[in-house]
Amino acid sequence: MIVHAASGDTWGISGPTFLRYYIAAAVVVAVIVAYHRIRLATGSTAAMTGDPLGPQQIAYLNGGPQLAVHAALGGLRGSGAVGVRPDRRLTTGGPAPAGLSPLDQAIHWAAHQNSRVRDLTQDERVRTALQQIRDGLEQRGLLTNDTKRARARRWIQVLLVLLGIGVLRLFSGLFDDRPVGYLLLTLVPLLIVTLALRRVPALTRAGRAALRDVRRQHTHLAPASSPAYATYGATGAAMGVALYGTTALWALDPGFAEQAEIQRQAAASSGWSGGATSSSDSSSNNYSGGDSSCGGGSSCGGGGGCGG
Amino acid sequence: MTDPSGVGIGWRPEIAGFVAELPGLRFVEVVAEGVPASGPLPPGLTQLRERAVTVVPHGVRLSLGGAEPVDPTRVAHLAAVAQRLDAPLVSEHIAFVRAGGLEAGHLLPLPRSREAVDAVCANVARAQAELPVPIALEPIAALVDWPDDELDEADFLTEILDRTGALLLLDVANVHANARNRGADPLALLDRLPLERVAYAHVAGGAERGGFYHDTHTDPVPPAVLELVGALCARQRPPALLLERDGHYPPAAELRTELDALAAAAGFPAVT
Repeated sequence: MIVHAASGDTWGISGPTFLRYYIAAAVVVAVIVAYHRIRLATGSTAAMTGDPLGPQQIAYLNGGPQLAVHAALGGLRGSGAVGVRPDRRLTTGGPAPAGLSPLDQAIHWAAHQNSRVRDLTQDERVRTALQQIRDGLEQRGLLTNDTKRARARRWIQVLLVLLGIGVLRLFSGLFDDRPVGYLLLTLVPLLIVTLALRRVPALTRAGRAALRDVRRQHTHLAPASSPAYATYGATGAAMGVALYGTTALWALDPGFAEQAEIQRQAAASSGWSGGATSSSDSSSNNYSGGDSSCGGGSSCGGGGGCGG
Repeated sequence: MTDPSGVGIGWRPEIAGFVAELPGLRFVEVVAEGVPASGPLPPGLTQLRERAVTVVPHGVRLSLGGAEPVDPTRVAHLAAVAQRLDAPLVSEHIAFVRAGGLEAGHLLPLPRSREAVDAVCANVARAQAELPVPIALEPIAALVDWPDDELDEADFLTEILDRTGALLLLDVANVHANARNRGADPLALLDRLPLERVAYAHVAGGAERGGFYHDTHTDPVPPAVLELVGALCARQRPPALLLERDGHYPPAAELRTELDALAAAAGFPAVT
C-alpha cells in the first residue's frame, strides 16, 4: 500500500488517506445527526400532564395545521354551525354556538365572512389559533421545536454533502481507472445511515404515543366501521377527521365536503410536514412527519401510502 | 357466559362507540355473520367481553326454514362465533333466505304447514347437533299469510319449540306488525305463546307506509310497540329486552331516551 500521494491519485490525495479522513468525518457527522434526532424524539419536557387532548390537538399531531382546520370544520359541520353556499364559500347559520375552541371561533368567524375552505389556513385569526395549538403541544412535549428541528436538518445537510463528496470521488476514481472497492464499501453504509436519519420527526416519542393511545380509544370512528356521526355528534365528527382524515368529513356530509371543495384524503397519507403554520416557512416542505402518522398499523389501511 | 338480562342493544360497528359507553349495559347481540370465526374480533366486541357483557350471536343467513338441509359451514361458523364470544346461546330466524340455489337477500316467511314444521325441526336439530349452546328461534314479520296455512302463528311456533326444545326469541315489533297488518289482536297472540320459553325479546322501530306497518329498524320505536312491551311484561317478563337499530342512527341522546323508555316499559333498570 502506498500511503504517499502519487501523481495518479484522484484529487492528489491517496485512497487510504482520503478514506481515513472521510470515514472519521462521516462517523462524527452521523453521530451528531443521530444525537439531534434522539433529542428531538425525546422532547424537552415530555410531560404527559394536563387535560386530555381534544380533536383539534390530535388533528394537529396527526396531520398538521391543515388537518386541525378540517377537524374543526368537521365539528362545526357536525353541529350544523357552518354550511356552504353554491359559490363554494362557507356560511354560518347564526351566531357562534357556546363552548367553541379558539380555532372553532376563528373558523366560524371566517365562515361568517364567507371564506373558502382552502383559504382558511391563511386567515389571520385561524393562524393565531393554530399557533396556540402548536405552542400548547410543544409545551407538553408532544411536538418538536422548530428551532431544534432546523438545527437537526442542518446536520443532515452536512451528511448529504459528505455523501456527495464520496460519490464524486467514486466516479472520478472509476473514470481514472483507480481502485474504488474500499470507498464503495464505505459509501454503502453511509447511504443507509443517511436514508435512515434523513427525516426530522415532527412528533416527539410522547406525541406519537399520545396519538396511538387516542387512536386505540377511537377505533369505532375508523371509516371501515362507517361510523354513525349523527350518533357520535360534533365531537365524534371532529375526532373522526382528526384521526382518519377528510375521508371522515366526506362520510359525515358528502354534499358539504364536495361543495366546499375539501380534498378526500386519509390522514395517514396527508404527509404532514410538521412545519410552522406560517406559509413563508418553505423549508419545512421537504421533510415529513412520516413514521409518526403511521403508528397505528391497521388504521393506515385506507390511504395507501404512509407519509412522505 | 351469563344469560341475557335487562335491556340490551344490537351491537353494530356504526354505533360501537355509543354502545361502549353505556355504563349499565349487561347484554348485546351481534350479527353472527359479521363476526369472523378466526382472526381479530372487532375491537368494540373485545372491550365488551372484557367488561363481562353478554354477547349473543344472532344469525341471519342460516335459512332454517329452507327445504334443503342447513349449510354445515354456516352452522360451523355460528358455533365458532358462539365459542369465541363465550355466548350463553345463539339465535336465528324461522325463515328461509335461499331456495334452489337462489339467495333472496332477506328473510322470507314460511307457509305454516305441517310440512314446513317438519323441515324447520329437521334443520334446527341439525344445527343443535353442532352448536355448543342452546338456540333461540325468532319468528319473522310478514305482510301477508300464505294461502294454504294449516296452522295459526301460535300453534306453528309452539309445535316447533316443543319438538326442538329450542328457546323463543320473541320480536315484539313483529307481533305488533303482524297483528296491525292483519287487523288481529296482538294480545291474543301473546296469550297463546309459550312465554316461559322466551330467552329474550327484540324491540325495534318501524313506520306506517301505504296502510301497512313496516318493521324498518331505522325508525324510532312507536308508542304502540312500547305498550305491547308493557303488556308482554305484565304477562311474563322476558329475562331481557334488546333494542334493534339497523340504520338511520339518531343522535346519542335520542338513542339513550329510547333505551330508557324500554327499561321503563319493562321495569328494568336503565342502562344509560
